Amino acid sequence: MKIIVAIKQVPDRDAQVRIGAGGKWIEEADLQYALNESDAYALEEALQLKEKHGGEVVVVSAGPERVGSTIREALAKGADRAIHIDCDDLGQHDALGVARLLAEAVRPEQPDLVLTGLQSEDLGLGQTGVIVAELLGLPHATLILHVEKSETGLTVKRELEEGWFQTIEMPTPSVLAIQSGGNKLRYATLMGIKRAKTKDVRRVTAPELGVNAAPVVQLEQVTLPHKQKSTQMLSDSAKEAAAALVEKLKFEVRVI
Amino acid sequence: MILFIPILAEPQRFSLAEKLIFAGLAVASVYGFWRRFGPILDKILKSKKDPGFHLFPIGRRIWDFVWEVLCQAKVVRERPLPGLAHASVFWAFCAFALVTLNHCAVGFGVGFLNPAGPIARFYFYFAAAFALACAVSIAALFGRRFLVRPKWLGEHLSWGSGLVALLIFLLMATYLAAFFVSDTAPVTRVLWWVHTLVLLSFLPLIPHTKHLHLVLSPATIFLSRGGFSQIPPLSGDEDFGLVAGTDLTQLVSLQTYSCVECGRCTEHCPAANTGKLLNPKEIILGVRAYLNDLGPASDQPLLGKYNSQEAVFQCTTCGACEFQCPVGIEHVPILIGLRRGAVNTGAWEDQHGSKLFLALERGSNALGMSATDRDKFIEKQALPIFDGTQEYCLWLGCMGGYDPKGREIVSAFARVMNYLGTSYGVLRKEKCTGDPVRRLGNDLLFQQLAEANLETLAQNKVKKIVSICPHCVRTIQEDWKEYGTPPEIEHHSEFMARYADKLPKQASPNSAIPEKIVFHDPCYLGRYRNVYDEPRTVAALAGSLVEAPRNRERSFCCGAGGGLAFLGEETGERVSHNRAAELVATGAQTIAAACPFCNTMFRDALAASGEAAPQLMDIAQLAARGLPDSGGLRETAGS
Repeated sequence: MKIIVAIKQVPDRDAQVRIGAGGKWIEEADLQYALNESDAYALEEALQLKEKHGGEVVVVSAGPERVGSTIREALAKGADRAIHIDCDDLGQHDALGVARLLAEAVRPEQPDLVLTGLQSEDLGLGQTGVIVAELLGLPHATLILHVEKSETGLTVKRELEEGWFQTIEMPTPSVLAIQSGGNKLRYATLMGIKRAKTKDVRRVTAPELGVNAAPVVQLEQVTLPHKQKSTQMLSDSAKEAAAALVEKLKFEVRVI
Repeated sequence: MILFIPILAEPQRFSLAEKLIFAGLAVASVYGFWRRFGPILDKILKSKKDPGFHLFPIGRRIWDFVWEVLCQAKVVRERPLPGLAHASVFWAFCAFALVTLNHCAVGFGVGFLNPAGPIARFYFYFAAAFALACAVSIAALFGRRFLVRPKWLGEHLSWGSGLVALLIFLLMATYLAAFFVSDTAPVTRVLWWVHTLVLLSFLPLIPHTKHLHLVLSPATIFLSRGGFSQIPPLSGDEDFGLVAGTDLTQLVSLQTYSCVECGRCTEHCPAANTGKLLNPKEIILGVRAYLNDLGPASDQPLLGKYNSQEAVFQCTTCGACEFQCPVGIEHVPILIGLRRGAVNTGAWEDQHGSKLFLALERGSNALGMSATDRDKFIEKQALPIFDGTQEYCLWLGCMGGYDPKGREIVSAFARVMNYLGTSYGVLRKEKCTGDPVRRLGNDLLFQQLAEANLETLAQNKVKKIVSICPHCVRTIQEDWKEYGTPPEIEHHSEFMARYADKLPKQASPNSAIPEKIVFHDPCYLGRYRNVYDEPRTVAALAGSLVEAPRNRERSFCCGAGGGLAFLGEETGERVSHNRAAELVATGAQTIAAACPFCNTMFRDALAASGEAAPQLMDIAQLAARGLPDSGGLRETAGS
């Protein structure tokens, strides 16, 4: 199975985000970057499918030079090769523009499956994967926790609200937007990093892909979120309070 | 009645047949020795060269050799009675070198020591004294092994050891008996031949039994990597630690063949003592078995058939094994080497381990918390920010920056420094030193963390660091050296001990009876850094010290080291509970610790015991308690 995983480099969770001059994007200098969380789960799902059924995992990412480190990380974790779409002004793009770049990079590969993260940690639009599917003319499904190969195509597990799950059949090729938490992520290893050095990273530009990525949605202003604290008291008996706390930690805060 | 003639009797003439038989047996004996020893030596020499090995400075090596081999200092110090007995046997062997040479020369009629001459006569008496001590000692050691049977020697009785003991006893007895007979007596010839046969059968036994250490361990001690738990650098793009036989270095091979199976490592191992799978002796013997079966050119994995991955990841890296080992085996680098092999290749899959690695791949601290939590703590405690003008950089570490108990310690130590008028500041940004990932064998992550921190320290022009955490101190000072030049660093116990006479001595609330305090030596402060007295000096400001049975270099781990604080401890008794119970049993009102990890482990262990536990305080909290404005209250920094 040939699987393409679209990944995005986003500011690190611990990074001190400042608003850039002009107020339309964040100040990118001195920021630390990392692989978007749900993309990490998409990559993990792809790697596990490859380990089970063989094939190839190709990562594709759009962004400036710095994205190279995140691509290396994905290669180190086990992806076979990568496509780096050179794009210095990612902050200026809307979801449609980025999806066009990704779709044109993916199209000639003729993959069996395209995985994306559900949404990015910086913009959180949650649209890119779906638009990629539309541009490629492929069926898609979102909020996917788990993918299994079936006789006819794929059996996928979707997360619904309130702890409900849905299992559906999907054909191949298709596009799946992966939700965080479905798998245990693997850690990067020294061996992986050394092996990644020799793996192929193809660099392409928007003109080479024949894409005009000019935005149709204008970003007017970005602001830091207002901090607010909320306290909930669990006042039942210890046993009930513990059960309620576990429930909240699992489904509201999603930390366990 | 035998007349006592205080001259060593030697048979006067040997027939040609006797000489030929002797020569034949001698050749057979040497052959028997070499047939086994040759391949072992070959395996050691054909192992990979040790990266980063330097023979110089050689002074340290000579000193180790004199102290540990010739003086048998470690053998005696850590197990005094059997140690002395062993030393007697060893010294007798040394004294016998000349005696034995002469003995063999006599067989060919070219004896060079004249028993009646004054020099030889003196020397033979001298050797006789050792022979006597040796005979008594070997009999006692035989009794210990076969009658007392300490459990650390293993469940199976070593008959080889029994035979060797018997041979040594016979060797000494036949030598001593020769003082009681005359040259011409037929029994003299019998004694000579028995002595010879014993000698010639002993030689081939050496490489076939653990007595191989006679030949190897002097070299092992002389060539040891030195320091304590020195983790060697990886070499080249294909070195991921100890994965297969091809990764075993000459030192590792030499060390595994030197093991004398005395079990001191196991006796002191926190894992082995709390019902875990890990037994450091078996790890070493596992590697040896691998070398025996497959050799150093094999690409079969080291973990699996010969050693268990589960056991290797139960090590707290407390170093008790390495500290105790009398033959120079460096267990911790071997255990960490096996972990490196498993982690650097991704073979180790562990839920908690992966979580720790992922937390440090993306975040700044081992606790997986947001860096802003640290900022908030610094703000709340009004800790000064390091700006290059202060004398010290106060390194918070993950525990000091994020853990509630660690924060209490940092706050208390800050108050001590304020009181002393020391200028210090904390860094705005700090990452984990990489201690837990270093000990778990994740070289990629360790390198990233060390390099990022070294850069931060250089940017801030830090010259001197002080830290409440012995793990940070060790990692910064020793382990970071692989990637740069770390600033000078000391532990807060060393800092406070230096100013102990400026800190108030505390009167007990019940002035008649001073507060009884038991100090727990953290592994990374004691064995790793050789700091034992300084924290005691500080703790003594607050009361009178009592000692736990296992103290100083024999201190028992709290269970947190080697990254294990972040893994699950599922098998057997908890290490922390074992140690806490020992500390409680001293009857002390206060347990003093000097490491935030020990503090956290004991906090939980004491809470779990459910009894009226003694109070647990870091030495910084004890020192701060006596400061004028504290009113004797405990620090409550909170989070």
